[in-house]
Amino acid sequence: MADGNGALLQDPVARLLEGGPVWNGESDDILVCRAVRDETHDVKTFLLAPRLQHRFAYRPGQFLTFEFDIDGEAIHRCYTISSAPTRPNLVSITVKRVPGGPVSNWLHDHLRPGATVKAIGPMGEFSCLNHPAEKYLFLSGGSGITPLMSMARTFHDLAEPRDIVFVHAARSPADIIFRSELETMARQSKSFHFAALCEADSGSEAWGGYRGRLTLPMLHLMANDWLTREIFVCGPAPFMAAVRAMLADAGFDMTRHHEESFDFAKLSGAEQEAVREAEAVMPVGKVYRVEFSKTRRVIDCPEGVPVLEAARRAGVRLPSSCTKGLCGTCKSKLVSGTVELKHQGGIRQREIDAGMTLLCCARPTSDLVVER
Amino acid sequence: MLDSPETPLKALIRNRRPGHSLDAPFYVSPEIFAADMELIFGRHWIYVGVEPDVPEPGDAMTVDIGRYSVIVVRDDDMGIQAFHNVCRHRGARILHDEKTTVGNIVCRYHAWTYDLSGALIHAEHMGADFDRTCHGLKRVHVRSLQGLIFLCLAEEPPEDFDEMAREMGPYIAPHDIANTKIAFESDIIEQGNWKLAMENNRECYHCAGNHPELTVPLFAYGFGFAPDEMDEQDRAQAERYACLVRDSHADWEGSGLPSREIERLDSRITGFRTERLPLDGAGEAHTLDTKRASRKLLGQFTRANHGALSFWTQPNSWHHFMSDHIVTFCVMPVDAGTTRVRTKWLVHKDAVEGVDYDLANLTEVWSATNAQDSALVGYAQQGARSPAYEPGRYSPHTEFLVEKFCRWYVGRMAAHLGR
Repeated sequence: MADGNGALLQDPVARLLEGGPVWNGESDDILVCRAVRDETHDVKTFLLAPRLQHRFAYRPGQFLTFEFDIDGEAIHRCYTISSAPTRPNLVSITVKRVPGGPVSNWLHDHLRPGATVKAIGPMGEFSCLNHPAEKYLFLSGGSGITPLMSMARTFHDLAEPRDIVFVHAARSPADIIFRSELETMARQSKSFHFAALCEADSGSEAWGGYRGRLTLPMLHLMANDWLTREIFVCGPAPFMAAVRAMLADAGFDMTRHHEESFDFAKLSGAEQEAVREAEAVMPVGKVYRVEFSKTRRVIDCPEGVPVLEAARRAGVRLPSSCTKGLCGTCKSKLVSGTVELKHQGGIRQREIDAGMTLLCCARPTSDLVVER
Repeated sequence: MLDSPETPLKALIRNRRPGHSLDAPFYVSPEIFAADMELIFGRHWIYVGVEPDVPEPGDAMTVDIGRYSVIVVRDDDMGIQAFHNVCRHRGARILHDEKTTVGNIVCRYHAWTYDLSGALIHAEHMGADFDRTCHGLKRVHVRSLQGLIFLCLAEEPPEDFDEMAREMGPYIAPHDIANTKIAFESDIIEQGNWKLAMENNRECYHCAGNHPELTVPLFAYGFGFAPDEMDEQDRAQAERYACLVRDSHADWEGSGLPSREIERLDSRITGFRTERLPLDGAGEAHTLDTKRASRKLLGQFTRANHGALSFWTQPNSWHHFMSDHIVTFCVMPVDAGTTRVRTKWLVHKDAVEGVDYDLANLTEVWSATNAQDSALVGYAQQGARSPAYEPGRYSPHTEFLVEKFCRWYVGRMAAHLGR
């Protein structure tokens, strides 16, 4: 319908929609940041485009390997594509800011629209398309949501009526990534079901849904036919391990269980630490209630997490210094409850006998009341 | 007062009249007080407390000696360690309570953390080039004599502590301080120079007229008398006492209990004196009924009539060890005219107050005696402040041990000042 004059006024976006050759990181590894979007208080999505008129082709669940130039040092990091291949003009990665994580902090603080990064890929075998099934169960923990989101978005964009139960485990309602989009998908599609579970309330929202660790009874409530589903799991290693054990114990056919794992050994020490730190915050066991009697604050403390750490995450500041059980700065009275305490001389057995504990290295084994 | 340009203290030391009390400046001058703190309390073994002050690992006590504050702590191997109570970061005082329990020793200011060997084990934010091994707590020399804790602030402490320990150990050991507890502790601030407090302790000339309670169990004869001035009755008493000492010592030494006098008051840098003294009446303890105050006897004792072992150390302590309890005294100068006397009553660690001992009965004699002595020391200080004061003659019969204290004192001062 366009006449010759109209061509001069054409919006450049029109050209983008004409498509183009498939982007190949081997021949041109530069991607341009087009936008940065906030997902949660500590998760951002970075939208990336090729420099030339190319389009992306990949399987949902695959990842790109990036090379970031951070303080003059080239650091490599894999990020799963969170966007769907049904929208080929851009790819997005969705990154949680990890305390002490050099890459995630650099991305959050420095990657702005217009900046470029190097990437190769896509790569990876973790995709529902490699295991066709009528019914899927997606189990995601924390930022492990990204490959499963890519899969869910793909089916949704294609209006493909696969029966999908999408489960996401988060720290608090404020940490549920893509929450409104998943709720919208569930509302629009009868075959898409979304269930979230949280380990704690967030400051602005009390959580009324599933709480704590993913258990079999919980799974039955979410999808009573879960045994018949193809299961895809992605999340922190302990989360995946717990799920694996739970499914195996329940007699699930483990050939139909798939999990995303990346080669941890390839990461630098600092990155490994950052990953471990990120993983430490995921609910992989029981969650205990910890009440601070003086300030009347209540937090949830997952099994295996020191009380001080859980308090910090919940924004409750307590006196502390070494966080190693040496200095006793966090010494507090345990009014009720039991903890496992591995300290380094910062407290005496007599003090423990008298009801004192070191919050930095006390891991709850029951609900607690702490005099603070 | 000290108007001579040439080291007036040296002159005062050199011109001290033997057999007489000291010149007034020794009791009232702030300058001499400062010299006392540096030369006497800074360079000798100072008695500060007992092992039951820090009975278990992690128990700590702080001891003030003049401007110094020292941490005495029981380590995990049941040893006793002592450190200057000064953080190696910016020097903040670390422990503030006289008695406390710690895991590690932590300075609250910036949470610098030291283990019980004094090693710095945690200091945040100090950078990669910071060497923690160079920033341990500064050590203070500490020794335990059968449970009596002595500190020395000097770089090089007097070497003769071991000689005292070798001689005194067998006397004190049977009383088994390690298995006692502090039943009661009292601080009394005396309005007098520390030397007057010590001089007062070193004689019993004043006992008959001032200590109605103490002289019930205690024979003043034990500390000398002038025989040619005594009437018939007194002489008979003195005779009786001499026999009692002879018989008791034979009896006690026969049962393996060292009792005879050892007197090293002015012949040693670490001066001391000891003797196991018979007591009047039942002869068991410093109580008004002269009987044991606690039913649970100390150590291996099966009977209580062992009198009271007297032990003195220069410059600042005296002690009475009985079969059932121990009374121990630590003198600490505050300023030229003020002195703290800290008294502790120790009983068997398993003795139960109100069951095995009555606290009032246990502490009655020495509480009264301390109050009386405090008043007397105050009088002596008031007199020394008067321009009319002049050194007075000590009784050769009843105050020869006071003379030994003064001789030790001026000798040690002279040794450090150079003659």
